[in-house]
Amino acid sequence: MAQATTSAAAPTAGARRWKPSQEQIVLIVTALLAIGFSLTLDGFATLGNFLALMRSVAILGILGIAMSVVVIGRGLDLSLVATMAVSSAFALQLIHHGWPWPGACAAGMAVAIGIGLVNGFIIAFVEVPALFTTLATGFLVFGLGRTFLLDGMIIYMPKGQEALEWIGQGRLFGVPAPVLVLALMALVVQVFLARMTLGRFVYAHGDNLETARLTGIAVRPLTMLEYAICAAIGCVAGLVMASSTASMNTQIVNSTLIFDVILVVVLGGVSLVGGRGGVLSVLAGTALIGTLLNGMTILDLDNNVQNIVKGGVLLAAIILDNRLHPRDEETARQGD
Amino acid sequence: MSNVILQVDNGSKVYAGVHALQDVGFDVRAGEIHALVGENGAGKSTLCKSIAGAIRLSSGTIKVDGQPVDFQRPGDALAAGVCMVYQETSLVPSMTVAQNLELGREKLITRLRPLNIKAQQQLQSLNFHVDPTALVATLGTAQRQMVEIARAAYHDARIIIFDEPTASLTPEEKLHFFHLLHDLKAKGLGIVFISHALEEALELADRITVLRDGRHVVTQDAGSLTREDLVRHMVGRDVQATHYGRREGARTDARREKVLVVENLTMGNIVKNMSFTLYAGEVVGIAGLIGSGRTESAKVVSGALKRNLIGGGTVRLRGRAVRYDVPKQAIDDGIVYITEDRKLNGFFETMTVDENIHLGHLATRRGYKWTVSGRERRTLAGALSEKLKVRSVSAHARIIELSGGNQQKVVVAKSLIQEPSVVFFDEPTRGVDVGAIPEIHQAIRRLADEGKAVVVISSYLPEVLAVSDRILVARQGRIVEEFSAADATEDRIMFAAIH
Repeated sequence: MAQATTSAAAPTAGARRWKPSQEQIVLIVTALLAIGFSLTLDGFATLGNFLALMRSVAILGILGIAMSVVVIGRGLDLSLVATMAVSSAFALQLIHHGWPWPGACAAGMAVAIGIGLVNGFIIAFVEVPALFTTLATGFLVFGLGRTFLLDGMIIYMPKGQEALEWIGQGRLFGVPAPVLVLALMALVVQVFLARMTLGRFVYAHGDNLETARLTGIAVRPLTMLEYAICAAIGCVAGLVMASSTASMNTQIVNSTLIFDVILVVVLGGVSLVGGRGGVLSVLAGTALIGTLLNGMTILDLDNNVQNIVKGGVLLAAIILDNRLHPRDEETARQGD
Repeated sequence: MSNVILQVDNGSKVYAGVHALQDVGFDVRAGEIHALVGENGAGKSTLCKSIAGAIRLSSGTIKVDGQPVDFQRPGDALAAGVCMVYQETSLVPSMTVAQNLELGREKLITRLRPLNIKAQQQLQSLNFHVDPTALVATLGTAQRQMVEIARAAYHDARIIIFDEPTASLTPEEKLHFFHLLHDLKAKGLGIVFISHALEEALELADRITVLRDGRHVVTQDAGSLTREDLVRHMVGRDVQATHYGRREGARTDARREKVLVVENLTMGNIVKNMSFTLYAGEVVGIAGLIGSGRTESAKVVSGALKRNLIGGGTVRLRGRAVRYDVPKQAIDDGIVYITEDRKLNGFFETMTVDENIHLGHLATRRGYKWTVSGRERRTLAGALSEKLKVRSVSAHARIIELSGGNQQKVVVAKSLIQEPSVVFFDEPTRGVDVGAIPEIHQAIRRLADEGKAVVVISSYLPEVLAVSDRILVARQGRIVEEFSAADATEDRIMFAAIH
């Protein structure tokens, strides 16, 4: 048949050979690192250290899962950390003002979802690129939150809130509660993305916006949903963080946390191009970062070296992403 | 007079196994105007771009002054004296006229005063009344074209290629442009111009070359050709040699219900007072040149584009006036548009064949479910793949691993699973392998037999003739002619489509 001569036939032959996905590469690297550390470092390969490792990156993982929902939809939420800090601090403050904790958490969650919907609205209906929208709303959320919602820079955890204290500090069968929250969030988002129609629409949206629109997917409300989900999970991460440190310091907005979040998302193979990767990719990325940080901490490397390693790993991940998902003109117009 | 300055021998260009150009010979002499005519996709632009160094020929040679050359990029061609003026101007709007003239030749430090003086001299020598210090963004289309020409002359071009130069000019501007071409010719330059307007070619050119389907048909002195000759050369295929048999027994009596009535549809400058009516059980072909507003009107009707809010005309679906903001609304009403560019907006490249088709189902109001069922996906997508004869390694194959024809079938399946009653096909067989073309045509016919209203927009006349019951011809944003399938011939359609 004439098909044999078309360019589309070429990848068919290539696909026969097993090509590792980015997720698999990251997991393999993580395993090699872990083996290396266990052989060379005392105290790495213990159950206690393993749990401490997971606990140390649990919040990062939750934020990564939140971020992955918008990144798969070819977006980005730079306001995620601000949303997390303001919404969870607001919940704590309502408890101080005498609200019961479920009501206060629901109110914090509502604030987060509201921010997400506004982000999504501006991106989808006003058609401002996600990068600029969320960069601006990040400042707005922090400023408005500090001015109108919060009494101070740091909101402390109210005394005697056992349920809230548990999610940051408790354990179940020896597993730290933040790790359990991460597992729960991973499960929920995995079910959403892989099993629910709206989740498949998110992938379609990230893969090709115009195709999704022409196919009849309501892309603009879908965008709002993506950012709302992202913000809501961000609020959960904030509550875990507040609980484990017994306070929410809103200064975290000025830290580099948002870049760490993007690091674990991109590292695992949730491509910034959109439509690729999933919850497992984020978990793989989080595992690698956790192992690296833990190993470096035990080695007692100073902060600068840690930054060099983190920066190098991010750069390597992005180069790998570019190699695996080239999206230059050549491929976009292939066969025209 | 007749010294050849540029010569192309056996020029071929292959895109993904398809010949865009095949063994084309072409030459330009000093001091002549050489017109290049042919249908959409005949290879005119491909030929010119390869001469100008924008693309490289797959095989064949290009000689300038008898010396073989191999242009790697437009800059090389420019250095050899070959310059192309594109349809969309390639000037930088935020720079001045003088800076644009100098573009690509700047020294490390540019002093504006001498540059402006030099530019002024150049513009005056060509009799152009353009201020060299004006920003290009403030100029009109005709003036921009002058700047482009001045730029070609400034770079000592000896061969200037114009791609549809008169398409966006007013009649007076055209006249001025023609004078200018004569001036350039008198200076001994070789001029190539691509045109759809046959009268212009006949009036202006010394020689005319006709291309068809990527092959050279004829090169003759313009004086010895008539408009009829040109049309015949442009469309005169050997019908036996194509894959498009004329359809037997096209039905005009089979018209049933009037499904969609479009009246005075207007969108910007592209669609102007477009009117047509679609009936159930009928395939309507819309022929016309690129830019005649066919695609845009289909997109407006199916919600992908919005028509003018005031004076945009009316669209009636079974008597009910409709106006769609997004494609979803049209799809829920049973109107689908199947894109002309499947790579750009036809399929989801990260997904498998089944997932692509199934998403079409999930995106409808009827087909939406909260959770995805793998079994439903296999059954529904499998049934449609089979119906449209999609051939892939497996249903789990990613769609980008398929050939162009099979990808197109998946795109069609993704729309047909939405159970539409009105289907717009835009260039349904562009970039499709030969074997798949009749299968796609059969699928189109079958839709009409099932009682759907079908529209096929195609720039390829044999295709229009092969599938249509009724043929509309679009020109400059409106329908100018209507033929029944029995009356239509390629010559008559082409005649109506060209102004």
